[in-house]
Amino acid sequence: MHRRREYSRSVPETESGLGPMDSVFTKCEKCGQPVYEKDLRARFNVCPHCEFHYPLSAPERVRLLLDAGSFEERDRGLVAADLLGFEGYAEKVEAARKKTGLDDAVLSGAGEIGGRRVAFAAMDFRFIGGSMGSVVGERVARAIEMAYADGLPLVIVSASGGARMFEGVYSLMQMAKTSVALSRYMEGSWPYVSVLTDPTFGGVTASFATAADVVIAEPGARIGFAGARVIEGTTKERLPEGFQTAEFQREHGMADRIVHRLALKGDLERLLGFVA
Amino acid sequence: MILEFERPVKELEARIADLHRLAGPSAELQGEISRLEDALESAKRRIYSNLSPYQRVQVARHPDRPNFRAYRDALADDFYELSGDRAHGEDPAVRGGFARLSRSGHNVMLIGHDKGADVKSRVKGNFGMAHPEGYRKVRRLYELAGRFGMPIVTLVDTPGAFAGRQAEERGQAWAISEDLMALARSPVPVICMVIGEGGSGGALAMCAGDYVGMLENSYLSVIAPEACASIIFRDPGRAAEAAAAMKITARDLKEQKIVDEVLPEPLGGAHNEPDAAIEAVGETLGLVLSELSDVDPQTLMKTRYERYRRIGAHAAAGQDPALS
Ligand SMILES: [Zn+2]
Repeated sequence: MHRRREYSRSVPETESGLGPMDSVFTKCEKCGQPVYEKDLRARFNVCPHCEFHYPLSAPERVRLLLDAGSFEERDRGLVAADLLGFEGYAEKVEAARKKTGLDDAVLSGAGEIGGRRVAFAAMDFRFIGGSMGSVVGERVARAIEMAYADGLPLVIVSASGGARMFEGVYSLMQMAKTSVALSRYMEGSWPYVSVLTDPTFGGVTASFATAADVVIAEPGARIGFAGARVIEGTTKERLPEGFQTAEFQREHGMADRIVHRLALKGDLERLLGFVA
Repeated sequence: MILEFERPVKELEARIADLHRLAGPSAELQGEISRLEDALESAKRRIYSNLSPYQRVQVARHPDRPNFRAYRDALADDFYELSGDRAHGEDPAVRGGFARLSRSGHNVMLIGHDKGADVKSRVKGNFGMAHPEGYRKVRRLYELAGRFGMPIVTLVDTPGAFAGRQAEERGQAWAISEDLMALARSPVPVICMVIGEGGSGGALAMCAGDYVGMLENSYLSVIAPEACASIIFRDPGRAAEAAAAMKITARDLKEQKIVDEVLPEPLGGAHNEPDAAIEAVGETLGLVLSELSDVDPQTLMKTRYERYRRIGAHAAAGQDPALS
């Protein structure tokens, strides 16, 4: 599991995580400049001064990437079943549902990007750190199956601290579940585009998020398998500046492109123009 | 190494050995000796049939537990090892190659995490924690097996994929994901046996197939109990609770229908009687191989798809969990 940023630990309720929704302005944690909350919202949580990308919720991601009014949510009402009876888990899920208005850490369905119909899923880090439990695995798998059945391009936006350990091995098995679905889909010739956002780690990175035809990452996003803290803890190694950032991953050959959030929709339209 | 809960057994064994030495050929102490032997037998039964999940984790990690090398040497009369990922290097944390199983005569692609035999080889194999080149070698071997129509047999025994700077630089997550995708589309039977530790994604990359068996004291978990305890309970000392809560033992996973079979271990765990444990695994592999070797690729892949597609702990709101 990846620990969330300190700033969002203290005030997790708003979109940007920077301050209460009704505050007029707040201070950018990155550059220290004052930022109007409404400006930040208008720029999908990208700082107007330093271009730092703050986390973006799944509903906002839909608003950012899909043509207005085109999104049809699928599989609404699928919820975690807590079969293990893990102490405190049911309450955690309930609190996350209240806080986000989502059923779990993913929003999925069909929509259009530049007039092209796609199967779409976006993860939401506010929901228990975007951890992958059975609902995330199931909805991602169903989105992939819909893309397979209808012959659609597939776009998945990830944001996840890793597996949801409250679900024990069920959560681990969601990696296998999404992989079988994806493996079958990729026998066809429809494109799968994975967009990695801050942060994407663990079981999500080690399954569907990286097994794509094209991997796009947002600037500065932290992406990896094990979190930096875990690595420092086990190897006592000092990690270099910029370790596991999107730029680091591109430099190491793991991502195709780094795309600014406000240019992402246009970038996907161009890409789909080639391959869809 | 003696585990804490094994101490009463080890003490009794030591006393019996002492008495044997003292008694020599005389029959004088025989009564005492057989009394202690009875006590030993019942202590073993009492202790080993009631192991807690975390005690099983400790048995799974026991340095004397038979590992990949022991199985390979005992079960294969020829092991033709293959090395390297053809891109970066050779990772001895995981080994694989063509193997002829002596018991059943099957030719298979045998792949396993290698925890080593002594300090030197344990360090060399990074205690069974593979780097990306290890997982990429594994994918290469999966594909090779598919090309030659040879069943894949994996022996899973790893604390997890290695968490380190270089592993991240070379795309650990990408490498594991490639293995999962390769297993999903493999046209040959994939037979997985957890013989010790099944640590997270690094284990799953070799543990998603048409048959998954687990030795009684092995475990399979999404995260190490210690790490789970320090994240959720903010106290790594509560690992035993975390191990119990995550339901990671072979029996738990059989109940969750994630594994097919639990293979009983000799009393006292596989490290007390390695030959018996290895024999049990060999026999099971032979049976499963015979069962799956005639299944056509289409059926294999379809069944595998359905197997993994249905695993989950979720429900439509207001309904019972959608478990099959
Ligand atoms: Zn700023």
